[in-house]
Amino acid sequence: MHRLLDILASGIHDTKNQLFSAESRIAASEAKHQIDLSEVRYAIESAANRLSRTLAAYQLMRHGARLAIVPSIVADLCAEVALVQQHHLANTGITLNIDCQALDDWPLDRDLVTDMLNNAVQNAGRVARREIRLSAIEQGDELILRVEDDGPGFSTIPPTVGTGLIVAEKLAALHRRQNRQGSLHLSNGGPLGGACFELRLP
Amino acid sequence: MTDYSKKRFLVIDDQPQARDALRTVAQTLGAFTVEFASNYQDAIYRIRNNSPDIILCDYMLGEGRSGQQLLEELRRFKLLQDETIFMMVTGEQSYEQVVSAVELVPDDYIIKPFSPDKLLLRLDRIVAKKNFFADYYQEKRKEEYARAIALLEKKRNSEAGRPYRFEILRQQAEVLLASGDSTAAETAYRGILESHDFPWARAGVARALHKQNRLTEARQEIDRAITSTPHFFDAADLKATICMAQGEHAEAQKILDEVAKKTPRNFLRKRLLAEAATLNGDSEVARTVMAEVIAGDTMPGAVSTEDRLALARSHVNAGDKISGERVLVGMREAEVQNLNLAEQASFAALLAICSPEKGKPRFAGLRPALLASDLGTTARLDVMRAALSVTDNELADLHAEQLMAGPEAKKTFSSIRNQYALHGREKDIREIQKQVALKRIRHEEAAPATGD
Repeated sequence: MHRLLDILASGIHDTKNQLFSAESRIAASEAKHQIDLSEVRYAIESAANRLSRTLAAYQLMRHGARLAIVPSIVADLCAEVALVQQHHLANTGITLNIDCQALDDWPLDRDLVTDMLNNAVQNAGRVARREIRLSAIEQGDELILRVEDDGPGFSTIPPTVGTGLIVAEKLAALHRRQNRQGSLHLSNGGPLGGACFELRLP
Repeated sequence: MTDYSKKRFLVIDDQPQARDALRTVAQTLGAFTVEFASNYQDAIYRIRNNSPDIILCDYMLGEGRSGQQLLEELRRFKLLQDETIFMMVTGEQSYEQVVSAVELVPDDYIIKPFSPDKLLLRLDRIVAKKNFFADYYQEKRKEEYARAIALLEKKRNSEAGRPYRFEILRQQAEVLLASGDSTAAETAYRGILESHDFPWARAGVARALHKQNRLTEARQEIDRAITSTPHFFDAADLKATICMAQGEHAEAQKILDEVAKKTPRNFLRKRLLAEAATLNGDSEVARTVMAEVIAGDTMPGAVSTEDRLALARSHVNAGDKISGERVLVGMREAEVQNLNLAEQASFAALLAICSPEKGKPRFAGLRPALLASDLGTTARLDVMRAALSVTDNELADLHAEQLMAGPEAKKTFSSIRNQYALHGREKDIREIQKQVALKRIRHEEAAPATGD
């Protein structure tokens, strides 16, 4: 039925397997020779994430997406973003601070939300001067995930958004609970003075 | 942080390159002992012989097997203790869809590619969770359900339990169902659904309703779970089981046939398909499928006495008494001597039908026990049928009546009617049915019953 989708998915699946093989060998070399090749691994993981994101976007635009909602620990989610991004950002002189005050587990599409946050942090990394902050709080019956930076902010509000953000907006809205749904908010001038990417999930 | 150097790892993957990658990652975590399994059977063999601490299992295992199926089978044979870590490794985003829907989930899953650090983070997390639930796992294993539930209740109200709210609720519902309190289990699952419409919780409600014999409601709930997640195969099994309980055997067979095609090596599902086909009067499918189960389910101890009796029964249904007799006579002496009463009843009944000469004396010898004892549904049907064939009407009518008065009346009705029709006793079975209905009305007037 979705033959093209199957072909794409299987090609991406094989590619990711090969990338995993490459990454694990690099990790082994790092351990063996006591060297730091984390930037190489970062590039590999970013490439793999990019592939997944492209497939997800295609799927969403062509067939409509179905989320995979699992109860997720918000602090763990933030820790994973930090694990992927912190070291890389530090190499460019930017500090990523995590401030997670959401203590309960939350039903959400874990991999999708992690990817959205990774993407937001990556975008912030291009414009931030010294600091990016990822924060999580529970407010009323919503979980609010924020990525803020101390860069110049969006040039216009509302900003002109590319495909990535359009997809992110749609995916946020797919998070539904009773009659509420998720949303994405972009603004300027948070506590760090730069752009603010805010994901609200019911 | 946990010391992984003393942990025993098992890596399960059919691709040599991927296996090496996983081993490398495990070794980077300091793992000293990393074993491999290249296929499904090998994995089961290794886990059975010497259970590892941490299992890293690829989702796609080749030969029509998946890591999910392995996980289900390990749980089914109680080869996987709650303390063992089972991590699914996958390059497929589609596994997320599976894990978000099904009732039986691994401790976690991780998507390739990933760094050793990421795996470490995930494993540390699982260890923390398992420590949090450690005392509960012990009570659950001992089947001390009241204590297990009390522990969960305490955890639910603790600050440390906040990251595990849903896991606690899920465990509570599962333990309530396992302890036989299906009303409380239903309430627990409905409580989860108030937070979010998880397919596994919806299926849990259906399961609890089925146990309460509230079949129409159970059917509605399971239909909702399937509509939202068509790839949730266990829900299809449950739906088929509910259909059978409602007497809709053709529908049950159709559902199972479709799903079984997608999961050709899931033998539990095939057994269910054989049962549906038997009830539906499709004896050829039933015996083909049962033969596949017996030949294909190579897990040690998986093929049971019940399976061999089912195969014999399917031959009898197909009118092939010679094959039926061969199966029964071919059972090992030790196995026959260790049959419980229900199995003895089925064995003697089926043999009496296949080979009156060999079976009748045994069947006659059991008669007093068969008149006095409460057998299961399947054995009752066999006994009723054999009794009809040896024109022991008293014995046949007794079991027919008890089947029709029992909770599985709708499931067995067409089989009973067909057997009586075969022996020219349609009028008698209608009379028995009437008597059962009258008794029920009188009983309900005395004490209003619940359910349908």
